[in-house]
Amino acid sequence: MVFASISFLYYFLPIVFIIYYLVPQAAQNIVLLLASLVFYSYSEPVYILLMLLAILSGFLHGLVIDKFKSQKEEKYSRMAMISSVVVSISLLGFFKYADFFIANFNHVFKANISFLRLVQPIGISFYTFQILSYTIEVYRGSADVQRNFLHFALYVSLFPQLIAGPIVRYTTVASALDSRRHSWEDFAIGVRRFTIGLAKKVLLANVLGELCSAFKAVSEKTVLFYWLYAVAFTLQIYFDFSGYSDMAIGLGKFFGFHFLENFNYPYIAQSITEFWRRWHISLGTWFRDYLYIPLGGNRVSTARWLFNILLVWLVTGFWHGADWNFIIWGLFFGLLLILEKYFYHYLFAKLPPFFSHLYVLFCVIIGFVIFDAGGIYDGVSSVMGMLGLLEMPLFNQEALYYLQSYAVVLLLAIIGSTPLFNVLVRKVKSKKHGELIVNLVEPVFLLVLLLMVTAYLVDGSFNPFLYFRF
Amino acid sequence: MNSTVKNKLVSISFVFVLAVIFLLNLICPSQDLSFSERRKLQQFPAVTFSSFLDGSWIDKFEKYSLDQFVFREEFRTLKAAVLFKLFRQKDNNGIYLINEHVFKMEYPLKERSIEKAAQKLNEIYDYYLQGMNVYYAIIPDKNYFAAAQNGYPCLDYQRLLELMNENVRNMKYVDLFNCLTLADYYRTDLHWRQDRLQPVVAQLAREMDLSPNLAARQYISVTKYPFYGAYFGQAALPLEPEELIYLTNATIEDAVVYNYDKKEYRKVYEAEKFGQIDSYDLFLSGAVALLTIENPHAQSQKELIIFRDSYGSSLAPLLLEEYQKITLIDLRYIATHKLGEFIDFKDQDVLFLYSVLILNNSEMLK
Repeated sequence: MVFASISFLYYFLPIVFIIYYLVPQAAQNIVLLLASLVFYSYSEPVYILLMLLAILSGFLHGLVIDKFKSQKEEKYSRMAMISSVVVSISLLGFFKYADFFIANFNHVFKANISFLRLVQPIGISFYTFQILSYTIEVYRGSADVQRNFLHFALYVSLFPQLIAGPIVRYTTVASALDSRRHSWEDFAIGVRRFTIGLAKKVLLANVLGELCSAFKAVSEKTVLFYWLYAVAFTLQIYFDFSGYSDMAIGLGKFFGFHFLENFNYPYIAQSITEFWRRWHISLGTWFRDYLYIPLGGNRVSTARWLFNILLVWLVTGFWHGADWNFIIWGLFFGLLLILEKYFYHYLFAKLPPFFSHLYVLFCVIIGFVIFDAGGIYDGVSSVMGMLGLLEMPLFNQEALYYLQSYAVVLLLAIIGSTPLFNVLVRKVKSKKHGELIVNLVEPVFLLVLLLMVTAYLVDGSFNPFLYFRF
Repeated sequence: MNSTVKNKLVSISFVFVLAVIFLLNLICPSQDLSFSERRKLQQFPAVTFSSFLDGSWIDKFEKYSLDQFVFREEFRTLKAAVLFKLFRQKDNNGIYLINEHVFKMEYPLKERSIEKAAQKLNEIYDYYLQGMNVYYAIIPDKNYFAAAQNGYPCLDYQRLLELMNENVRNMKYVDLFNCLTLADYYRTDLHWRQDRLQPVVAQLAREMDLSPNLAARQYISVTKYPFYGAYFGQAALPLEPEELIYLTNATIEDAVVYNYDKKEYRKVYEAEKFGQIDSYDLFLSGAVALLTIENPHAQSQKELIIFRDSYGSSLAPLLLEEYQKITLIDLRYIATHKLGEFIDFKDQDVLFLYSVLILNNSEMLK
């Protein structure tokens, strides 16, 4: 089940609201856990067992780590933590990457091992990382062990963040698992975040996705259409992912959980380093805390630091998908970060901010074109198309049509990817009666957005039967 | 209004919308059909353990939740309005409007499909029609008259004609492109208007050696209103319905239509079909694999066989004066190799009359 669906919005969510707010507080965790299991099994009826197994593994490992720690058995505690990492990574590796490794093994060694063709369990990349963060934090002593299986299962499977993050650290929600308060203010913030996230996903990301699909479907491509696609996809992935994070944060607020921000207007960044501080923050900090720093971070020799950086970015790319283009995408950013530290940093310091911003956007766009490619060849071909290195016209009627048709959506998306709207609201609020105006407009605005989103979702079923008509 | 009141208002209005729509979805009875889409709607799927496990129940429930959503048509209208008026997009699910005329995009040109269509015509000729008078005509779709001029992508019609002319053998081409204008089509439908087909009839008469007076025959015009074409529902916008006019005379009124699908005799125009799921079915009962029209007042023994799509349903009655019998074959519903079981191909005139939409999607021809 996805948030941006009628089944979630008008069936699942109202039922969960009703039950959650009717039962006594002591039973609310059970309600949320059951709801989360229903939510997951709706998409993955079979793989729910795998998730429960991963939860059980994480829970037991936590207890064992804590037991040895309390007995001052550091070595065994460490072994238990490593065991937890091995189990989690093995699950992820098997279900997500098995066919990738088989394909490459077959290619390199001319072997003929059959593919497993496993369907990747939804959310496995997220919930395994959450479990890992828990066992590592317990090992480090920065989190208390959770002795209540229900609470731990709820932490891992909590439906707002289960499928697409953000990767919630155990420490972020540990206290809320035991007790949490609900307020009108939190609920209203939740409504705002959820509705805006929904609108970002349905009204912008999905519409931009249609433009990307149209680009992929055309037979005669042009330089203009390559750029149109590249910009559209860059905006689509931002609104898709940040919209989902907004919805997750909003849903968390409905039930008294406070998740950390996952995006902070990444497209206004003026360096790649800054971009990654603003993009998928929960993933970036996860790799920083659990991979980069344990490797030694930057307090090592230059050669080792280069190795650390490239390894972290290789893994970051690989985490996003089991294909070479994701690895190249990750390494591309690793390389840019290295270049930035040694060269660009000094170069752009002397130039107006506009140039560094342009450079970031160009690199990010190129990066996402590689990210979205069907393979290495496809990615290279797309970049060459953008740079006009393929034999094709600059533009044609088709490309102009799509530019005209999507111009407003693109413009709205570009504006929406900056803090302009928030700045405007703050400015209005600072004026006389501004607070009142915002307070009056906001409920109407959110309601209109919700109805518009509903209209777009309902129209998704539009499926005219025309076969017999012409 | 202070922030506390606003927070309560935001929260309550959100929950209210969700709860009301949830309850309405539960209470309102399911609909069987969507008139705007001309299809059956998904009903609530029966739950079984295996259907849940294999995901089929979930798929059906997703469809059900969308198909049976309360105020579904109104929400579709809202979406179309937002898309066209706010986002200024030029088409909605491929539907676009120019001066109240509704169009559905048909592009790009599928050259392989055109070649296959030509091969199909040749195949039928080789199998059944050798030595007969065989003609083929192509009906331009509405996009031909407005898309390119208004910046919408459209087929390369020139290339389409080249491909057909290069590949079709032993048949005489009858050009209809120059006989039609946008005004000859319904505003809210893909079809041409029967009451404006005189130039087409005249052109066919010229090229097929029929009586030059055929196009000048007198008919009584019968007007049906309101006509909501296939694109009316798809556009999901508050458009004006239009008139459907059909032409009749004694010959047409007395003609006998035999429907091979239902094995029954019908009339040329079935007025009772007007206002049902597809009003255009008024012409020769709509989609039928094989039917014949017999003219009891015929002056000659000539017969005509038309390989056609639904455009042919409204044209065939206007050719009836010239023939004792017209056979209409829709290859979307009957396989080529079955035709010999029903039709004695001998010395009839033969006309292949297909719209561009069929030629560009010729995989549906059996």
